Amino acid sequence: MTSEVSAKTSVSVQDLSLNFGMVSVLKSLNLDIAEGEFVVLLGPSGCGKSTLLNCIAGLLDISDGRIFIKGRNVTWEEPANRGIGMVFQSYALYPQMTVEKNLSFGLRVAGVPKDEIARRIARAAEILQIEPLLQRKPAALSGGQRQRVAIGRALVRDVDVFLFDEPLSNLDAKLRSELRVEIKLLHRRLKNTMIYVTHDQIEAMTLADRIAVMRGGEIQQFDAPSAIYNRPVNRFVAGFLGSPGMNFLEGRIENDQGGWRFAVDGISIPLATYAFERQPEPGPATFGVRPEHVALNSGEDWPFSMTATVEVVEPMGSDTLVWLLVAGQKFSVRVSAERAPAAGDTVSIGFDPMRASLFDGKTDRRI
Amino acid sequence: MMDDQIKAVAGAPISDPGGPRGPKPRRALSRRNIILYGTLFVAAVYYLLPLYVMVVTSLKGMPEIRLGHIFAPPMEITFEPWVKAWGKACTGLNCDGLSRGFWNSVRITIPSVLLSIAVASVNGYALANWRFKGAEIFFTILIVGAFIPYQVMLYPIVIILREIGIYGTLTGLVLVHCIFGMPILTLLFRNYFASLPDELFRAARVDGAGFWGIYLRIMLPMSLPIFVVAVIIQTTGIWNDFLFGVVYTRPDTYPMTVQLNNIVNAVQGVKEYNVNMAATLITGLVPLIVYFVSGKLFVRGIAAGAVKG
Repeated sequence: MTSEVSAKTSVSVQDLSLNFGMVSVLKSLNLDIAEGEFVVLLGPSGCGKSTLLNCIAGLLDISDGRIFIKGRNVTWEEPANRGIGMVFQSYALYPQMTVEKNLSFGLRVAGVPKDEIARRIARAAEILQIEPLLQRKPAALSGGQRQRVAIGRALVRDVDVFLFDEPLSNLDAKLRSELRVEIKLLHRRLKNTMIYVTHDQIEAMTLADRIAVMRGGEIQQFDAPSAIYNRPVNRFVAGFLGSPGMNFLEGRIENDQGGWRFAVDGISIPLATYAFERQPEPGPATFGVRPEHVALNSGEDWPFSMTATVEVVEPMGSDTLVWLLVAGQKFSVRVSAERAPAAGDTVSIGFDPMRASLFDGKTDRRI
Repeated sequence: MMDDQIKAVAGAPISDPGGPRGPKPRRALSRRNIILYGTLFVAAVYYLLPLYVMVVTSLKGMPEIRLGHIFAPPMEITFEPWVKAWGKACTGLNCDGLSRGFWNSVRITIPSVLLSIAVASVNGYALANWRFKGAEIFFTILIVGAFIPYQVMLYPIVIILREIGIYGTLTGLVLVHCIFGMPILTLLFRNYFASLPDELFRAARVDGAGFWGIYLRIMLPMSLPIFVVAVIIQTTGIWNDFLFGVVYTRPDTYPMTVQLNNIVNAVQGVKEYNVNMAATLITGLVPLIVYFVSGKLFVRGIAAGAVKG
């Protein structure tokens, strides 16, 4: 275990465990976040991502492990002394105070001089464009404005690390995508370290420098969005990211004269172009390929191609999702709207196993 | 109906087929309304009739009462019974009416209400927001306390107060009221604070506020409605209390309710019904006023504290 934390590391979580009675919520987590990095904690509800964030904030007492912020061991520090600012899902604005009082509350508690408070509020209000709202009460603000004020409350505290706990979940879809861009711009301008919890994979993919995909209190994969999307380490990560999800075919890895192949129900997919993570062995496995990596009626020559019958067509506006039956298993292909076939058509599909993922049938780990 | 049909046939555009449109007409004297308002009226009369009898009787002189028409309005209105009930009616040796008991009750109620609410609100806040070790057990004990019959504890408390040396004093009674109000009030406040969004509390902690800072600057300003409810419960409960008053005080510190009982149940002399009625009304006036005044405040409190967002 290293108690030495490099200067470039902003937040470092070491062997963090949290138990509620007999229930283990976080299991010996390790996480190193670089200075100025935007990290998203992504996972289904109940995976412990918000719990982890609350532990970093100091709002939950941990069972074991250590937390460093800016090289300082803050494991036993109060939330206010950790150098963090936090933005909550429900905004958590103090309803009886004006926006200005909301922003200044933490500073007033800390006894910051008045002119300094005024200076910081002016700066935050300018950055977030909430100057006209300063004398209003939270009840008189729209959802997007409230969330801006909530971000402002973290901003005025002049902290190194911003923690976001599903900040956009309470907003409607349009506002959410607007504020998403604003948060990204804010990060580019402030260059603070940001840790952002969400269950929304679009937010994760668009915002993050690195994503930590969590399940059951453990980090499954911590990597750049493209790596997580294209080279998921296990079947859970592969299935969690992507909408519509990755197509999975349950079959076997076999080794015949032509090299490694994936066989399922009469279909045999050659794996010559697939980049194996580890030495494959013959046995049960899951083959995964994303709907947008499959070509439909392309006329090109693919390492693997076959014909199938269209079951259902789902137009989604910008593109269309075509559902087929491949080896008796549901299989979706994403095509542009104008090339969409009709239900009942027989089509040819083709893809390159290079862009696919193979998972061990027993451990679900990437092969 | 016929007219509509004829019109439709005669030349109304096909797009308007006639028939019902807009709000359905409602008859004022429908069966539903008769049953609804009838029931309400009967219930109102049932509750108001005794009050009416009390008011008219208290305004009559004794000769008129002896005629026996208890529902008849007074032929000659007199406030003499009210004056007597307040200042001259005799209980035992004292002949200064209810006024002594009134001021005793005021001196009991105000500190009891303030103290019990102050302590219970902090209790409830700590239980709801600061999950300290043993909080569950503490809360369970408190709740069990709410279900123990008072009678069981009457005598032990007499002994405790005697040992402390405050038996028979107003201080002792105030203390007793605070203790007995604690379970239900703590439960009330705990549930209210637990219903406030937890993220507010966490945001305040990130902002650096401590136990008292969060209580005074975040929680209190959002809690007007529940404080009004607590004041109503405590004021009326303590003002109306008879049992603790009669057990834990002495004649010169009797609360109003005990004195009222002594006036009304006096065995010697003539039964002065008008004075008894006036005394009862005077005693009941304080809870009544509390209901009327705070009822308005209550509604305003809920509207002002609209904890949204």
